Amino acid sequence: MARAGPSRTQRSQRAPQPSQSQSQRPVRGGRRVAVEDDEDENTGEHDDPDMDIDESQGRGDADAELDRKASDLVRFALFMEHKRTLIRREDISKKVLGSNSRSFNPVLERAQKLLRKTFAMELVELQARNYREQDVAAGDDLQEARNATGVKKKTAAAGSKTYILRSTLDPIIIEHAARTDERLYEEQIADGQEDGEDDDDMARCYGSIISWSSSDQLGAMGVLHTILALILANGRSMSDLDLRANLKRLGLSSTGSVSMNAQSTHKSLPIDTYLGQLMKQGYIDRIKQGETKATGGKRGRAPAATQGNPDENQALEWHWGHRSYSEIGEQAVATFVAEFMVERNRDNDAEDDDDEDGRAAQGRGKGRAKQADGGGDKKLKTVYGAIERAAGGNLSKIK
Amino acid sequence: MVSSNDVQRLFLQGVFSRGILSFKHAQVLWEKCFEAIQAADPTLDIRFSDKREDWDRFVANINISLNCLDLEFRHLTDEQTGREMYALVNSKDDEIAQMATDYTPVEIAYFKAVVEQIMLAPHEAYSVSSLVALREVNSLKTNMTKAQAEIVLGSFVAKGWLLKSRRGRYSLSTRTLLELLPYLNSTYPEECLECVICQEIVTHGVACSTPNCKARLHYHCCRKYRHRNAKCPSCSQDWPQDLKSMTPVGEDAIKDGEDEGRRTRRKSTADGSGDEDEDEDEDDDDDEMAEEPTQTQSQPEGKGKKKKVPTDMEVDEDDEDEAPEQTQANGRRRSTRTR
Repeated sequence: MARAGPSRTQRSQRAPQPSQSQSQRPVRGGRRVAVEDDEDENTGEHDDPDMDIDESQGRGDADAELDRKASDLVRFALFMEHKRTLIRREDISKKVLGSNSRSFNPVLERAQKLLRKTFAMELVELQARNYREQDVAAGDDLQEARNATGVKKKTAAAGSKTYILRSTLDPIIIEHAARTDERLYEEQIADGQEDGEDDDDMARCYGSIISWSSSDQLGAMGVLHTILALILANGRSMSDLDLRANLKRLGLSSTGSVSMNAQSTHKSLPIDTYLGQLMKQGYIDRIKQGETKATGGKRGRAPAATQGNPDENQALEWHWGHRSYSEIGEQAVATFVAEFMVERNRDNDAEDDDDEDGRAAQGRGKGRAKQADGGGDKKLKTVYGAIERAAGGNLSKIK
Repeated sequence: MVSSNDVQRLFLQGVFSRGILSFKHAQVLWEKCFEAIQAADPTLDIRFSDKREDWDRFVANINISLNCLDLEFRHLTDEQTGREMYALVNSKDDEIAQMATDYTPVEIAYFKAVVEQIMLAPHEAYSVSSLVALREVNSLKTNMTKAQAEIVLGSFVAKGWLLKSRRGRYSLSTRTLLELLPYLNSTYPEECLECVICQEIVTHGVACSTPNCKARLHYHCCRKYRHRNAKCPSCSQDWPQDLKSMTPVGEDAIKDGEDEGRRTRRKSTADGSGDEDEDEDEDDDDDEMAEEPTQTQSQPEGKGKKKKVPTDMEVDEDDEDEAPEQTQANGRRRSTRTR
């Protein structure tokens, strides 16, 4: 279980030989300072046109080392994403890179290749909040001014040094993979029955290629998306009091809890704990009013819990977390809300028909339903547009 | 850009979302992946084949691509149903792998404690009653309430790590056997029985009833074997006609209410210091998995070797309660079968 250091790779993969730094130092000794790490040597070598044999072997080693680190990074990313934990660059440095943390970029590059090739996934760097806000406000002048004054470098502002894992499969494939298939459903049920238990609180399955329903807490996910929709339609932010009032109206009071299925080690999570977890996962963000810009992308740990005295709560404001922008997207949430609203209205219309006109008018009712279908697209657009305006314009795509 | 290689990638994503799946299920999943890719790009010339050799080749290819990641798409026959089960398994126990779980270190310690009781269960029963499983919370150094332990056990079952039988006994699932086989082999070498037919571990099956005969078989292996043979492959004694009159391995080997004293791995004689020794023992193997009491702060956990601090008076009390029982158990440990 000991983590293999560079020395181990060399031992296991190559015949014994002088260590890299020794073999290379004579060649470029002049340029080098006494202690350097592998990273430097590696990047240096790629520029070097004339290498002797000794050195090319050294390079093979460094290469293998990078590959091994890349594999470790892929493992790390898979395991972290499994828990929905944000993948932080500092954690990568600590857990994967170890001593030569400066090889981050080449390792990341190789890990991306490996991820795409093997799983059709990639690491996506989340945007820092301050950068996003500039984006939304389209404040070009502001940004230029900032660049000029050097308050914030553009590059520093762009990345949050936090990553998530995302699928690179074609959207058509993903859509297909989420659909219910009868035969797959049968097999899934058959597999599930061997355990002998079919409890209600077991995760449900729908026979889709990617079993989206069994690997997540669906109920809790629903609550998250509702919260995201509320915040978006409220102009991309919502005060703590408003959010709680809204949740209460939906039957989730501040003292209430979100129930979990049997896979969880908790029967339910108090709403405050759940909100805290969502913050930690980067889905939502809670900031004090008025200091939006100050906190910025370099926010350290997410606040542990949402408890505080009520006076403080008043000044708190909920926003989307950077993970939501990259994983879900404003447009998708708006589309979902629009579809939901239009669909529901259609159902209501149909019911009204039955109630008012009785059986005699059923034929007419059907006709109208068709009409409504035709108008559905238009309605959808109207609702979508309304959400966009409510949000403050320019709904962003997945970034 | 859609490519024919997406079949395998999509398949792996599907497997990720499932955990463990039967051969038939996996094969249908594979076929559906073809359909999904073809829906995205009808011009691709790819065809699904339900031939076994094509499946095996597909699995071999997957494993080639996973090799450098120390992951493996492994399979094992389910001991109860005889079905071939597949799962994506991590084959390297490194520091990174310690983060591969949603369970807290305490919950993992609890899981290991339950696994230990399952492995050391008397009469080769390889199962524990829920009473015994719940009692194991006392062995943890942090305090977990029994009510919480019950939910955690439920989670182990729901996620497919443990099986719960109709009698309410817990045993190891196929997924756990797949994933933890190296750990079980190294930690409980004496308790890991091998099937004389398929050479895989047996925790549910039958034993030859001849005294001192070491033959153990899975039910499904036994059934197949007895189509042609009537004698034990190991000691050549005639076997009874009826499978049921053979000595059971697994849950059937133990009756409800039978004594199940707590067992620990340590064989040493029971004296006053036995308790401490055993504690150290547990510390050692805890290190193999993550060990930090408070995981909730996403604090990076050093080397995972921080010492646990015994937190509560309650725990100490429980330990004392348990001591006499433990020593007894130590004394008669592994007397297992008297034949």
